[in-house]
Amino acid sequence: MVHFTPIDFFWAIAYIVLTVLSGAFFYKLGKRSGADFFLAGRGLPWWLPATSNFATHTATDTPMWFSGFVYKSGMFGVWQSLFAGWCAISAWVSTRIFRRSLAGTQAEWQTLRFSGLPAELLRGWIAGWQVALNMFIAGWVGVAMGNVCKWAFGWPLWYGLVFFSSACAIYAMSSGFWGVIIADVQQGITMLITIILVSIWGSIAAGGPQAIITKIQELGRPDMLNPFHFTGWVSGDYPLMWLLTMIAVPFLGGFGMATHFDWFVEAQRIQSAKTVKAAAYSIWWGAAAVIVRNSIWVIAVLAFFVLYPNLTSESDYQLAWFRIGFEFFPPGLVGFFFAAILAIHFSTISGILNLGAMYATRDIYHHYMNPNASEKQIIWVGRLMTFVVLIGSFFFGIMVGENVTKWLFFALWLMVAGTWLPNILQVVWWRFNGWGYLSAWIANLGICWLVVWILPAFGILKDLPQFYQFWLLMALVALVYIPVTFLTKPDDMDRLVKVYVQTRPIGFWGPVKREAQRRGLLQKLEEIELAAEKYSAKE
Amino acid sequence: MAWIKRTWKAHEADEWTKEDWFAIILSPLSFILITFGLALSLFGLTSGFIMLVAGVIVTALMFWIIDPKLNAISSDYESKQHEYLKDLENIQKWENK
Repeated sequence: MVHFTPIDFFWAIAYIVLTVLSGAFFYKLGKRSGADFFLAGRGLPWWLPATSNFATHTATDTPMWFSGFVYKSGMFGVWQSLFAGWCAISAWVSTRIFRRSLAGTQAEWQTLRFSGLPAELLRGWIAGWQVALNMFIAGWVGVAMGNVCKWAFGWPLWYGLVFFSSACAIYAMSSGFWGVIIADVQQGITMLITIILVSIWGSIAAGGPQAIITKIQELGRPDMLNPFHFTGWVSGDYPLMWLLTMIAVPFLGGFGMATHFDWFVEAQRIQSAKTVKAAAYSIWWGAAAVIVRNSIWVIAVLAFFVLYPNLTSESDYQLAWFRIGFEFFPPGLVGFFFAAILAIHFSTISGILNLGAMYATRDIYHHYMNPNASEKQIIWVGRLMTFVVLIGSFFFGIMVGENVTKWLFFALWLMVAGTWLPNILQVVWWRFNGWGYLSAWIANLGICWLVVWILPAFGILKDLPQFYQFWLLMALVALVYIPVTFLTKPDDMDRLVKVYVQTRPIGFWGPVKREAQRRGLLQKLEEIELAAEKYSAKE
Repeated sequence: MAWIKRTWKAHEADEWTKEDWFAIILSPLSFILITFGLALSLFGLTSGFIMLVAGVIVTALMFWIIDPKLNAISSDYESKQHEYLKDLENIQKWENK
């Protein structure tokens, strides 16, 4: 149990009060319009969404699963955290394309990229799925907070889940994305300082970096310091195929949209950025901050490993980072550490609540139920939906319970395995149509649960390593959407030309580009520019 | 490095060129080098410092290549954004099917 002194209580209470009150400060900006409530007016400089990316992707569960990977596998486990790598390519490719589309959400993108009935079905499908997924994410991040409070204070699991998520829902509901993004800046700085402090304290407690290396070797685990420690092509705990999957899937996923579920969070920040360049920079630098954070965490987790080398239960060693802070920080700083944990928690929950509400409001309510809704109605429905996502998160949180890491891998990788390639194809190949994409989503939903949970439970399919599951799911779902694509008509050429001229996608768009040129849409722009240049030269 | 184009006209910048591909290749490399370079450097390991320095150089080179192109794309696109936003609202309200 963690003991709080009066100064510790001061830090924690002051932090909650200040953060919640800051929501009221941005209330007026948030209620100006729907674009303000969900996209902060589309005019942010790059560093604001970048900091928000970093803060949102540093959630209460993040140090848990990261500690789980590194405690078990050392440096090799860091590869598992490199899924943020999708931003490396996305910043220069799909971010640029998506920002030019101006679609507020990934669901909205569907009605720009595809045409007719499948486009509308896709928009409704993705919007509904995103509302549910954001409830799930808020639930699993919330229950991670429940786990921390259970360990630190002996509270029942649901206390941490319900109380702190409700506190940050107050400012998410009052000021929308303005409150979320401004709070994220303060929270991002607070958490980065704390992450550095925990690594310093952990390292000192274990005797310093050199002592950690020596003790790891004495414990017979020198492999923990080698990120390239392989046990063969496909066998053992660290097979090369697994590593190649970990590199290929996130990085190549950057060519597509929604190849990783974090895309949906980033998509909101991409559209909140003022320019195409600001959007690209926000994604790159936000992800860069995430990978730097991971590197700083490594020393804290390995320090914990040498201090407590014999933990075998995942629920014990996944608390490594939290335990360093609570056990080794001096009185006074423990309260600051807890305030930083709250910052970590609030930044993710508030962003996720606003994002889930955005899909429910803009894509379901505004697009399908009330197309002529006023700005005032949109904002009030946005607030109501924020509350609905919050309540849904409590149910999902109780369902996840203490198995945070197990659920994470399923949600991060396997639930998107079958749609990984279609998510790239929708960007890079003009002929991939709405029916093909819709069939991929539906097939994936059924097949991923079958391959990962249901068939192994009945002994019909072997419980495969995760990288096998990923490629198997990808192949099985492709057997559905490739025939569907070729058996149905291409999307309407008018729509394809429009999306091409506006977003200029990468890849195989030859027939669409030629059609745009034939219609004079591309030459026209070039001619205008050349004429403008000639005019300015004359001047 | 004359073979890297650093002055762009808007319609040239809209095309995908070798400069984009340099950024696409350098960016993941930079992420991997910085991740492991920094983690190993914090343990005082020489291999970490080498990787970290390489990561910083790769990052700087990437931005040097891609920044002028992004500037050109951005400034050109912002001039058309208002019209595109209007179009988007029409789709939202079922007015432009």
